[in-house]
Amino acid sequence: MSAKPAQLPLVEPDQADALTKQIYENAEKRFQMVLNIFKVTGHASEIAEKMWNIFFEILAEGQVDWYTKELLILKATKTGDCLYCVTQHEVVAERLGVTPEKQKDLVGQVYKDSPHFNDKECAIVDLCAHMCVDPEQIPADVWTRVKSYYDDGQIVELAVTVGAYIQVSKFGDALGVQLEDVFSGHQPRLFAKEPPKSAAARHHLEHFLERGKAAAH
Amino acid sequence: MAVVKLVQKPDNDDVREAFKLAETHFGHVPNLVRALGSNPAMCRTITAFIVQSLREGRVSWGFKELVILKTLRAISSFYGYGAHEALAQELGNSPERIGDIANSLWENSPHFNEAERAVFELVKQIAIDANAVPDELWDRLRKHWDHGQLVELDALITTFIMIGRVADTLGVTDPVLFKRKVKN
Repeated sequence: MSAKPAQLPLVEPDQADALTKQIYENAEKRFQMVLNIFKVTGHASEIAEKMWNIFFEILAEGQVDWYTKELLILKATKTGDCLYCVTQHEVVAERLGVTPEKQKDLVGQVYKDSPHFNDKECAIVDLCAHMCVDPEQIPADVWTRVKSYYDDGQIVELAVTVGAYIQVSKFGDALGVQLEDVFSGHQPRLFAKEPPKSAAARHHLEHFLERGKAAAH
Repeated sequence: MAVVKLVQKPDNDDVREAFKLAETHFGHVPNLVRALGSNPAMCRTITAFIVQSLREGRVSWGFKELVILKTLRAISSFYGYGAHEALAQELGNSPERIGDIANSLWENSPHFNEAERAVFELVKQIAIDANAVPDELWDRLRKHWDHGQLVELDALITTFIMIGRVADTLGVTDPVLFKRKVKN
């Protein structure tokens, strides 16, 4: 079973303009491949360049360690029912040492009582959960806890990480960007623990799992 | 008061570069850029992305401002809303066009064409559930806009969802974004 094409054609490296080729080379150095979501932005290289620079900074050690940022990325993209991001970042997070058990406890409010999360991590996952839904409703207590652990520069990085992953997940999902074949057969563990709320996202998940089964045969 | 300090004097090359870019583009350094100033990497990359968005592009800046207004309303964020209304007007949008996107009047408004209406539908759907943008809507979008324009519009909508979320989270306001004339 083949993937449904994205709503716009992917720009392959041999079709790309000079700036797009440079972006693809940077992406390949960082991620060992040019992901489909990069290829769809090849239609507007001047926008792609500025957009992906943000993610090159986030997906690295910064004022906040990459491991911690992956917790926020998984929480934010799971909240947004983004199969594309969740699947990829389950793999990235595991490589960075976030165990599958810990990843699964990010769903809903499970992390609050999970032995895998410390108070510092719970504070920022709480912040992320509120930020995704309505920043106006972030309780003062959450800020007190976050500020007891993180300085201004780190808070900026935490907020931008969540915001950027809300952005890119919606950007790719709206365009119907499909997971790369290399992820075929991966069983998204966060969605196994708590299915997507969105009917459309549940449909995408079923289709992805069927693709995996078909590829295995 | 913002959650983080608003940096007044940068002590880092990346932040100096971001402030210089902002000063040139906006005519001053907006509070959001100052709030990001505690983190040079985030300040430099986010500022460059915003500056790229707020100018003439593959899609006219005037229409992009309407898309930004609709996006901010769709996620109940009012970061810079008044500033974007003023910009939308300065860039040639009538008060009727600006008013009709404040609610659902745009759906039948004579002040918009089919191409513009399709984009507002996209804004609405992305804000609710980006997974559920119907194929039929993409058919209409592709009829009116080329691939590069559609990437720009999708990036613009989702960028301003990000900006709204980050600015509201950090408690930043920017009642005035541009202190220079944007149109000659």
